[in-house]
Amino acid sequence: MKRLTPIPALAGIVSMALVTLFGVFLITSESASASQGVVTLEERLNGAGGVTLDASLYLPKTLPAPAILLAHGFTGDKNSVASQAKSLADHGYVVLAWTARGFGKSTGEISMNSPSGEVADVSRLIDYLATRHEVIQQHVNDPLVGIAGDSYGGAVSLLTAGYDHRIDAVAANITWHNLSQDLFPQNSQDPSFGPYKKFWAGTFFALAALPNAFGGECGTFAAAWCTAFKDAVATGVPTPSDEKLLLASSPSTVAAKITAPTLLMQGEADSLFPLSDSIANAQAIHKGHPNVPLAMIWHSGGHDGGTDETKRLQKATSDWFDKYLRHKDITFPAFQVTDTNGSISLIDSSVVPKMWQSAELPITPHFESIPITTPFTALIAPIGGIPGAISSLPGVGSALALAGNIGGVSAAFLPGQSGFLETDPLKDPLSIVGPSEITVKVSSNKSDATLFFSLVVRTASGSTKQPNGIVAPVHLTNLGKTGSLFTIKLPAVVLDAAVGDKLAVAISTTDQGYAMPADGRLYTVTVASPLQFSHPLFTSSKSQSSLFVWPIAAIILIALAIWFAFIRRPRHNIEPVEPTDALVTVSNLSKVYKDGYKAVDNLSFHVKRGQVLGLLGPNGAGKTTTLRMMMGLIYPTEGEISINGKPIYPGSPTLAELGSFVEGSGFLPHLTGRENLELYWRSIGRSEDPFFDEAVTITDLGSALDKKVRSYSQGMRQRLAIAQAMLGMPDLLVLDEPTNGLDPQQIKAMREVLKKYAKTGRTVIVSSHLLSEVEQTCSHVVLMHRGRLIAFGTLKKILGMTGKKAGSLEEIFIELIGDDLTIGKES
Amino acid sequence: MYSPQKTLPYRVEMYRQLKRKRTLFAYLFVMSLPIIVALAVKFGTSGNSTGPTRFGAGTADLIGLATKGAANFTATMFYFATPFLLIAVVALFNGDTVASEASWSTLRYLLAAPVPRVRLLIQKLKVSLTLSAFGILLLAITSFGVGALAFGIAPLQTPLGVTMVNSVAISRLAIVAAYLAVTLLVVAAIAFYFSVTTDVPLGAVGGAIGIMILSNILDAITGLGSLRNWLPSHYSFSWFDALSSQIDWTQMVRGGSYAIILAAILTSISFIRFAKKDVTS
Repeated sequence: MKRLTPIPALAGIVSMALVTLFGVFLITSESASASQGVVTLEERLNGAGGVTLDASLYLPKTLPAPAILLAHGFTGDKNSVASQAKSLADHGYVVLAWTARGFGKSTGEISMNSPSGEVADVSRLIDYLATRHEVIQQHVNDPLVGIAGDSYGGAVSLLTAGYDHRIDAVAANITWHNLSQDLFPQNSQDPSFGPYKKFWAGTFFALAALPNAFGGECGTFAAAWCTAFKDAVATGVPTPSDEKLLLASSPSTVAAKITAPTLLMQGEADSLFPLSDSIANAQAIHKGHPNVPLAMIWHSGGHDGGTDETKRLQKATSDWFDKYLRHKDITFPAFQVTDTNGSISLIDSSVVPKMWQSAELPITPHFESIPITTPFTALIAPIGGIPGAISSLPGVGSALALAGNIGGVSAAFLPGQSGFLETDPLKDPLSIVGPSEITVKVSSNKSDATLFFSLVVRTASGSTKQPNGIVAPVHLTNLGKTGSLFTIKLPAVVLDAAVGDKLAVAISTTDQGYAMPADGRLYTVTVASPLQFSHPLFTSSKSQSSLFVWPIAAIILIALAIWFAFIRRPRHNIEPVEPTDALVTVSNLSKVYKDGYKAVDNLSFHVKRGQVLGLLGPNGAGKTTTLRMMMGLIYPTEGEISINGKPIYPGSPTLAELGSFVEGSGFLPHLTGRENLELYWRSIGRSEDPFFDEAVTITDLGSALDKKVRSYSQGMRQRLAIAQAMLGMPDLLVLDEPTNGLDPQQIKAMREVLKKYAKTGRTVIVSSHLLSEVEQTCSHVVLMHRGRLIAFGTLKKILGMTGKKAGSLEEIFIELIGDDLTIGKES
Repeated sequence: MYSPQKTLPYRVEMYRQLKRKRTLFAYLFVMSLPIIVALAVKFGTSGNSTGPTRFGAGTADLIGLATKGAANFTATMFYFATPFLLIAVVALFNGDTVASEASWSTLRYLLAAPVPRVRLLIQKLKVSLTLSAFGILLLAITSFGVGALAFGIAPLQTPLGVTMVNSVAISRLAIVAAYLAVTLLVVAAIAFYFSVTTDVPLGAVGGAIGIMILSNILDAITGLGSLRNWLPSHYSFSWFDALSSQIDWTQMVRGGSYAIILAAILTSISFIRFAKKDVTS
């Protein structure tokens, strides 16, 4: 019998597949090794106009290297960026961190990143880097240098890149575009200034000025800035000279001159410098130099807090510098967005953000429109602006998320003071990433209006979601008697709306974060256009390819699995054996079990039709093993068995010609005997007559047939098993120790059953260790011991074998094998 | 006449399994979860659990969410059933199927009939997978029914604050059930492998459950880092992504594919082992 051994081959393929999978894993998990040997030098460096700057220079192990200027945020100093500086130095950059003028141990006054102040200081720092041999120099006085910073530091990064062309790459986080617009936000086409962002501006100013009472009310602020602050507090609008000051410190004025590759990061939880600032910066840079590489990341942090993504942003920053200072081959998506409502953590069921990415920057919004079906809303502005809505709190974030509802009233939307212009419930889910617009007609009982617009989601259950509490304030002037049309720029947001939700433009007359008119007002707002929203195309940010790789891998694996399990399953020699008159031929049969035990050794015999063959031998002689092979339960090691000249192997169709009972019965204990027999016949899928009654009659099962097999005695089970073996009256009946457990009467009946069965021309093979038993039933005998054939022939022949006149098989057996009756190993 | 294709028909094997008390008990076990939870929430102490629960305030109050309506209740039951109950049921159906035949000695009579070995496994697997899938469906239907009785039918509200009307909610729950069915293929394949290897049905079932529990424990050890991505249970909760307003398929595609890959490998090993095996039980 030929058999293939597909296991090793399969193991090969499987291990190949695993190696491939783990190969992917090894590549993706490759981590930056933290190198040692960063040297930190503390320096006092000259800034512009006689200012002395407190600085730290971090030198990496491998020199010379590109340099990075690392700017700190407002009220910080060089030490606030120490950990990022060290990690960049570990990464192979010379890092220069310094304390901005007016802060920490640097001298000078805060002038909010003015070109002649902080920006000029950075140019002096670049001069200094040009003198350091540790820094790669591109030309004389032109080191290879990038600049990065958050907020205040981000603005100085962008401004310096605009003023000093020696900057080779920029990474700016949560910073402003136009200070005038951020402090007096105006989100309509009205030429006036928007409402003064008093809460933020006050916080900002106080942080720097107040810690030291001896510094006076202005602290280390430059006089011009202190005056501008006082003007704003007093009047709510900047004077022309204040505005000039604000613009000078705004990247908006110089962004068009930036030629260095720029990474703009902005926070979604930022009511100070909202997402629209990053759009405006990108638009300005792109307009000036369309070929400047730009990338944008909207993360879940910001000045209001949000979720901390510092690690990821620092990685993005160092990737950006690797790409443009060291020209590493890094693919950097143009636009990445964190969806804070991405999914739920599997570990502590907290909400975890999800990253999305797009190849396109959001600088030219692709607006889609959706009709607003609430046409109109009327609002009141309370006298004195109290009570006032709270949309977001500086440094804390959305008031909705924070305080929730107080007495069923949302702090962000006070009754009477707020209104919603709603769409119909959505029929498809919708994601909005970026700015939105709507045109409305606003009327007032006064000639001007101060309103706070936002884009919100109202759910079917009645709750209102205002993304991060960000609002777009407007100040509208010269209102006509019947109202005037304005196009409102709604806040840039990252928002998900589900089916059944309504999008709504929320309008509030008050917001405690802003200066508001103190006289009471009445407003009406009427919809004049559909809502225009940004509907970008995004893909999930992590490994786009995996969407295809995994299913393809799965399909390949399934194909391989089918190939192995079905096509390469063991094959058997199905050539017919030479025809003989024997029904059963056993030739040279051997079986060695896995543990090395040789149960059957070169056994050959044959059985003709109508014979009752006794397979005889002590326990462990190999009888059961032989019968198991005859039933196709185990594979012979050598030799073969055939029935009617057709070979027998596991699953061979020839097995259908034999009924068997080996090693005890096998029934479903929870079914009755009858059900078991019927189910067995249906299980084996035969169409012919089962001769059910005959089988039952021969085995004399009677009424027990309708009891559950569980309740059967050993003898009953035995008889039921023999009945099962006889179902269909097969040509060959193979019975293993059929009289075990039967009482003497039943044994006698059994003998008759077997004899009767053989008389119909059918053949019976019976194994037994009871010699006397076989003597009374069989016409032929195979005598086995220790797996070997001792004798084979008619009962008569065997009885006459010893020459003496043996009285019984027992005597012959002892004669033939002597005293060697050691019980063989039971298998 | 004997024909290998007619042996062990699907209906017969299904009948043999359905007649077993085990099948009934497994399904009662599945149905008991939503009923017990609903009773506990309805008649227990106040729904605003003040005791130390894993799903307390600050994160997502899942029990609180469960009472919003039938759809929410169903989603929560899926959440509760994912780490153990469904694993146990799937392991039971697939681990027991061949091993129990071996333990009753009926296996050898089927093989000698002969039911070809590959056919026997295919038929067994078809039936055990059908029973498993029905178990998941039963959990969904019972949960929805019990939820509707106890809390009424209301739009699905996820912990992310997303609200979905009923038609959408039901389609999302169907996606969740389908995803669970796919990821549980791994459990089925592990259990089935043990089933063809051992003669002890409980050993096969317990072995599969044990491996999944071990995998869950390892998955909770953050120190293992990205190694955990290769654990068979790593993606079992990725169906959460089907509950956001726009479905992100990345994790589910990955998890589903990984489950199919593992299941294909294990099942083919099971088939080969069984085809070559000496059946001595």
